Amino acid sequence: MNRFLTLALILAAAITLVSIPAAAQTTSGPPARKPDAPAAAKQTPPAKGWAVPKTPWGDPDLQGTWTSDDCIGTPMQRPANLGDRPYLTEQELAQRESQLARQAENDKQETVASDARVGVGPPGHWGERARRPCKQTSLVVDPPNGRIPELTAEAKGKRIPEGAGNNNPMPASWEDFSYYIRCITRGVTGSIFPVIYGNGAQIVQAPGFVTILHEMVHEARVIPLDGRPHAGPNIRSYMGDSRGHWEGNTLVIETTNFLGNRTGIGLNGGGTPTSDALKLTERYTRIDPNTTQYEVTIDDPKTYARPWKVMFPLTQEQGYQNFEYACHEGNYAMFDSLSGARAVEKKAAEDAAKKK
Amino acid sequence: MRTKLLILTTVIGLLMSTVPAWAHHAFAAEFDASKPIKFRGTVTKMEWINPHAWIHIDVKGDDGKVTPWMIEAAAPNALLRRGWTKNSLAAGTEILVEGYQAKDGANRANGSIITFTDGKKLFVGSSAGDPGAAPGAPKQ
Repeated sequence: MNRFLTLALILAAAITLVSIPAAAQTTSGPPARKPDAPAAAKQTPPAKGWAVPKTPWGDPDLQGTWTSDDCIGTPMQRPANLGDRPYLTEQELAQRESQLARQAENDKQETVASDARVGVGPPGHWGERARRPCKQTSLVVDPPNGRIPELTAEAKGKRIPEGAGNNNPMPASWEDFSYYIRCITRGVTGSIFPVIYGNGAQIVQAPGFVTILHEMVHEARVIPLDGRPHAGPNIRSYMGDSRGHWEGNTLVIETTNFLGNRTGIGLNGGGTPTSDALKLTERYTRIDPNTTQYEVTIDDPKTYARPWKVMFPLTQEQGYQNFEYACHEGNYAMFDSLSGARAVEKKAAEDAAKKK
Repeated sequence: MRTKLLILTTVIGLLMSTVPAWAHHAFAAEFDASKPIKFRGTVTKMEWINPHAWIHIDVKGDDGKVTPWMIEAAAPNALLRRGWTKNSLAAGTEILVEGYQAKDGANRANGSIITFTDGKKLFVGSSAGDPGAAPGAPKQ
């Protein structure tokens, strides 16, 4: 194939990708629920002179271990003062780049920084690092203001997880912790949104299937691509029921059948609530050898006034791999938090008795 | 307790706001910001367990009595990515630990700052917090 033809095909594919409205993937619903096309945060077209590799059976090849590390620290919602601007300016990007450089320099120092302070939060040295600045001003790219749509009256005040407190400072039971702290799950979006560490997602393909293995809390999603229908409405789970298909070079995964509000939409499965009506439409598009654009449309009419979309790049990095994550083997934090709450109660009771 | 605890009297500077997202914890539920600890201990073993590694140390008190403590460290996978291996911290190594004790009064603490006795950082990585959110982004 000559170069001109290759380029023309890539351009055609790119135009197709950009022009597919996200709402086309939602099966039904009134027009008001269609998300707007994001003003500028559109999918980046594939790199010039490069074609998406194919598996031996002809599917686009997304295989490898990908990480969302580069967008660690990018806020979920865009600060209101940035309005409809989805990307950092050149100046802000340069500022972010120098922040990362300073951090890398700081990391290399052999002695503790003079301004280091003892804290009760996770120390800075626990985190994994972005390798390059994330270009986005927020992870939410639609609505165009980068803000999560208004919650419905039904959803306001809902706590995650359903039926128990989330990170209650005085937990009465193991049920008062989030499903993340309990090592159960971070949900579909929580498993891939960038957090301070453990952002690896390994993709393995076979004819008719894609498997995505998330490092933290070791979620393995096995997604059929053969067009089989979703499970019946009575079959529900934390991770829902996923079905995938290809649209050009984009892997589209639709997930329904959630139990509802066991995890939210946000970092590590926190964030804003969900319901059993949640439908997620994820899109994985490899845009260059080491970058896959990830986006997810969150459609949950019981929870949000309209569908909304989150997007960020996943990258492949030299030497990066998933490691084992047997989460509950040493989950002392649960024990410490419960015994800590009992100790606080005991002291309060003793103090009250003394006052009598 | 008559271990060689040097109780800090400084006002506690909370670093939580500089960390962009939660770790696998309800930190405030687990550790007590009113119980700062700072002492020297000898490593007896390191548990490479998820979701976080724990360093076991023996702390010798003024009376010579040895008390075992557990100090929480980073996630093992993050340590691996920073080049740590199971041989990186040998038993018998002396370390200095600063952090906060568990709320229930047990001999467990978060290891906010851990150094070798010559002042070098135990863990490669920032000791001054993370850079936080992207420019122009106030806290959510």
